[in-house]
Amino acid sequence: MNLDVSLSFSYGKRRVLDGVEFSAKKGELLAIIGPNGAGKSTLLKCMVGILEGEGKVNLNGKDLMVMKPGERAKLITYVPQSSLPEFAFTIEEFVEMGTYATKGSVEDALKRVGLWERRKEPITFLSGGEYQLVLIARALAQGSDVILLDEPTSHLDVNHALLVMDLLNELKEEKIIVAVLHDLNLALSYADRLLILHRGKKVWEGKPRELEPAVLEEVYGIKANLVEVSGRRLLIAGLSKV
Amino acid sequence: MKKWPPLLITLSLLSIFLGVYVGSVHISVAEVSESIVYGIKSALSGLFPPISPGEQPKYFTIIWKLRLPRVLLAYLVGTALASAGVASQALFKNPLADPYIIGISAGAGIGGALGAIYWPEHMGPLAFIFSLISVFIVYNVAKVNGKIPVDTLLLAGIAYGFLANAVTWYLIISHEDRAHVTWMWLMGTFNGRGWDDVAVMFIVTLLGLLFLILKWRELNLLLLGEESIALGLDLHLYRKLVIGTIALLTAFSVATAGIIGFIGLVSPHIMRLTLGPNHRELTPATALFGGTLLVIADLLARTVASPRELPVGIITAIMGAPLFMYLLLKHKRGELLA
Repeated sequence: MNLDVSLSFSYGKRRVLDGVEFSAKKGELLAIIGPNGAGKSTLLKCMVGILEGEGKVNLNGKDLMVMKPGERAKLITYVPQSSLPEFAFTIEEFVEMGTYATKGSVEDALKRVGLWERRKEPITFLSGGEYQLVLIARALAQGSDVILLDEPTSHLDVNHALLVMDLLNELKEEKIIVAVLHDLNLALSYADRLLILHRGKKVWEGKPRELEPAVLEEVYGIKANLVEVSGRRLLIAGLSKV
Repeated sequence: MKKWPPLLITLSLLSIFLGVYVGSVHISVAEVSESIVYGIKSALSGLFPPISPGEQPKYFTIIWKLRLPRVLLAYLVGTALASAGVASQALFKNPLADPYIIGISAGAGIGGALGAIYWPEHMGPLAFIFSLISVFIVYNVAKVNGKIPVDTLLLAGIAYGFLANAVTWYLIISHEDRAHVTWMWLMGTFNGRGWDDVAVMFIVTLLGLLFLILKWRELNLLLLGEESIALGLDLHLYRKLVIGTIALLTAFSVATAGIIGFIGLVSPHIMRLTLGPNHRELTPATALFGGTLLVIADLLARTVASPRELPVGIITAIMGAPLFMYLLLKHKRGELLA
């Protein structure tokens, strides 16, 4: 399974994505990082067809851009940035919503995130972390080969954040997983490959251990230190001007 | 609430029977049944000559020609308005959306008034054209970054509703000879409606409601907005189809019975509180309940100030407006989760 992306996007005259190119494959968790407004969410929305970008999104040689939403959702799906649910669907009804969800896929997805026993509860009573797991289950129940996630750990406590990242780590063996992450330390510890966006352009791509503090300083405007703790790279950042 | 279909169907039939039974002339249950049976038999005898209706019962004209079509029409309009309410709430992703509150009914009113004054036989289609234009305008004015927030929706709807009402009133006042008839229609009434109106309304309601019931998955997905594209919904296509359905149901309701508010808000809300937001159950339940509500409202309109008749729109406003204010209060406190 191979996903090849090359995308540009403009809001009116403003260029939000400028020829961002990358590939993703099964077995490797790709994290997209970058400061606010870098174009990360826009990139995911173009890939999944919510926004109409220019360029290509090829999965195993098939062009997803020319497909209808119904056709495309079978191959690629998306976990949006979590916002509070307004309608009191039960967990099960909510996860069933996808066009390709089946009784069996819903059960598997909910068991996977540990919420099958609570499937009759309304989503409006869930905590932020639990709701995030429901959103991931809804994408899983679609059974698509590619899952894109937009900041799946924002607003989560450390326990739920790690739960979500561990889940993505498992899923990458079955599917292509691309996640926009806000927390640089989660990205550094979990991702197999990082892609850094800045002002709509790809400025760096590589393995977390290859990342140099200078790149982060340039992109985020912070004084960055990268240290190694028990085999993992961690960022220690200070706000002093570079 | 697994048993809602038989319960709501029973309520519907009871309300229809009550609507036909109660009136200024007292007619016994036996006589009401006799007239209905005779009416059905004579209708069938046209198709199958061996069926003979027998002798015409005493109150046949009152029951079959006046009360029954009126009550059935009220039921159909109630069903149509309630369904249009459910669809609006899915489209606008907002439990307070309703064709009346967001100005769609007022827009349809312009078309209806034009019809009432110039082309009485084309009120329905004219109202449909104007309600389509209205949904389009309100939708686009209220939209902020692809979302429809409560405040902009209400403001856009109110502003547009005022404008549409002003145009309608201008039309009514500048055509004095037709003013009284047009005014009576606009305030909402089922007085003087016959089987022809029932037939038109039946076809329109059936079409609109069938579409909404069959497309319950798509209505659920509409509630998610643009995220639904990633789950396989052709969002832009379904937004248009649902807008068309809302306009159709609202327009023919307005053309038939004037502007009747709050049914589209009250019925979905009560059903959502009892059955939850899933359109698989919500749409058919709301439709049945909306019909029942309007039959009862019309019954009150005919009886509370008897022998005078009130416009049914007044009754629904008295029942619905306090509920709407209560919903707004809850919404303000962030409790509106149903």
